[in-house]
Amino acid sequence: MGESGSLGTLLGLFLEPTEQGIRLHIPPAQTGLDWSVLWPLVEQCLQWTTPWWPPDTAVELLALDRLLDSRHLHDLATLLRGRGLILARVTTDRRQTAVAAATAGYSVEQPPPPQATWSNGRPAGAPPLYIRHTVRSGAEVNHPGTVVVWGDVNPGGRIVAQGDIFIWGHLRGVAHAGCTGDGQRFILALRMDPTQLRIAGHVARPPANPAPDACPEVAYQTAGQIQIVPAWDFVKSHPGGYAE
Amino acid sequence: MGRILVVTSGKGGVGKTTTTANLGMALARLGKTVALMDADFGLRNLDLLLGLENRIVYTALEVLAGECRLEQALVRDKRQPGLALLAAAQNRNKDAINPDQMKLLAEQLAGRFDYVLIDCPAGIESGFRNAIAPAQAAIVVTTPEVAAVRDADRVVGLMEAAGIRNSRLIVNRIRPGLSQVNDMMTVADVREILAIPLLGVVPDDERVIVATNRGEPLVLDKNLSLPGMAFHNIARRLEGEKVEFLDLDAPYNTLLGRLQRALQRKIF
Ligand SMILES: Nc1ncnc2c1ncn2[C@@H]1O[C@H](COP(=O)(O)OP(=O)(O)O)[C@@H](O)[C@H]1O
Ligand SMILES: [Mg+2]
Repeated sequence: MGESGSLGTLLGLFLEPTEQGIRLHIPPAQTGLDWSVLWPLVEQCLQWTTPWWPPDTAVELLALDRLLDSRHLHDLATLLRGRGLILARVTTDRRQTAVAAATAGYSVEQPPPPQATWSNGRPAGAPPLYIRHTVRSGAEVNHPGTVVVWGDVNPGGRIVAQGDIFIWGHLRGVAHAGCTGDGQRFILALRMDPTQLRIAGHVARPPANPAPDACPEVAYQTAGQIQIVPAWDFVKSHPGGYAE
Repeated sequence: MGRILVVTSGKGGVGKTTTTANLGMALARLGKTVALMDADFGLRNLDLLLGLENRIVYTALEVLAGECRLEQALVRDKRQPGLALLAAAQNRNKDAINPDQMKLLAEQLAGRFDYVLIDCPAGIESGFRNAIAPAQAAIVVTTPEVAAVRDADRVVGLMEAAGIRNSRLIVNRIRPGLSQVNDMMTVADVREILAIPLLGVVPDDERVIVATNRGEPLVLDKNLSLPGMAFHNIARRLEGEKVEFLDLDAPYNTLLGRLQRALQRKIF
């Protein structure tokens, strides 16, 4: 994904999987972002996200304080349909948006769901994203929180997270944790053979010949360098994910 | 209803058309009725491999345009009466047909044949989208090379996203022998990355090329060659039989071979 994709993520524009389907977060109006500026970012966000969802997945639009009329909703529904998504529900605290959505036949939710969670005073961003399949070549996952992959990340696959990255499988692609600058984030993989690792602004290419029987490892940043250590050692030196 | 399978790979030249032709023949020899669909519009060559080039009168496009009936466009193979080919137009581009039209044709064929095999063009653009649209399952062909496997992986991911989750793998052009250790992956390496069930392994063999040029698929030979046997075994596995894989990696599995591979493990 290019720069504006990361910009979108940074602004709070992203898809969050939920039990019912997918929740589309868009930056609230209080950010000062006009719809005309936002719309191309929404288009890019959807076009650049490799669909991980089954066809005809229901989408909840988290519009919050944004004023949207029937045309905005129509454009969005058309864009989503092109990506195998169906706009089903609009969550808003603006009466006018609620009326437009209800008139267009969407179900409307008035009170917004809980905001992003915080832990130990550090913002953890969006709720963790669970990916329950192999991230294959050409797929890129962008998430403004922690990403958990139950599967491999293959060569040519890419995970970019504002939070930590847990890979319950073999990492052979690219992983970028703390992508908006949090150097305290880490990357864990059951097997670590990445093409490239990034934590915040630091980049590392691992040695060309990893040990054949590698154990689970953690990559973290210390003194401006990315270190890779056995996960068990990391747990002991970083209880709770922090340096002691 | 017959099974609709797409034969695909991402990368070109890895053996999709060879596989489609031989598998079609092998299934027909097992007594199945098989329709082969060439989805490589503009670059068709399935008819060449089958030696049916000179018998094509109509193509899929004339059927869609209502200029002939589907039955008229099917070229029956004299050597294997169970086998028929629906050719692609050679002089049109890939956008001459859309996914809904492919579906329509494939589903009509599935009503009359046990198998519909679709020969997919290389790439991941519209030709690929057309070819996978009607498919219930995929046969992913790759060679044991890094670039081919990378593309195969991409294609598996795209098909998963499109709802085709039961892909099976054929590793083609395996060259046993230590001399190839440098730039070739082993079947085990390929399986480790793609993580889809293995349907077959086919050796690299110049008889494949000779057969291609003659328009006589290998599986027609009286005495099956090793690659002919490989395709025959794949057909039996599609039919649900349990057939051992040819052990083409055997020369690799010496201690020395393993040691060399361990030392040369690279990811870049
Ligand atoms: N197992 C094999 N051994 C030797 N040559 C092969 C083998 N499989 C395919 N080939 C050759 O590779 C070339 C490309 O094969 P083809 O089936 O046309 O690939 P694709 O349809 O994927 O582009 C052809 O010349 C074919 O004869
Ligand atoms: Mg071909």
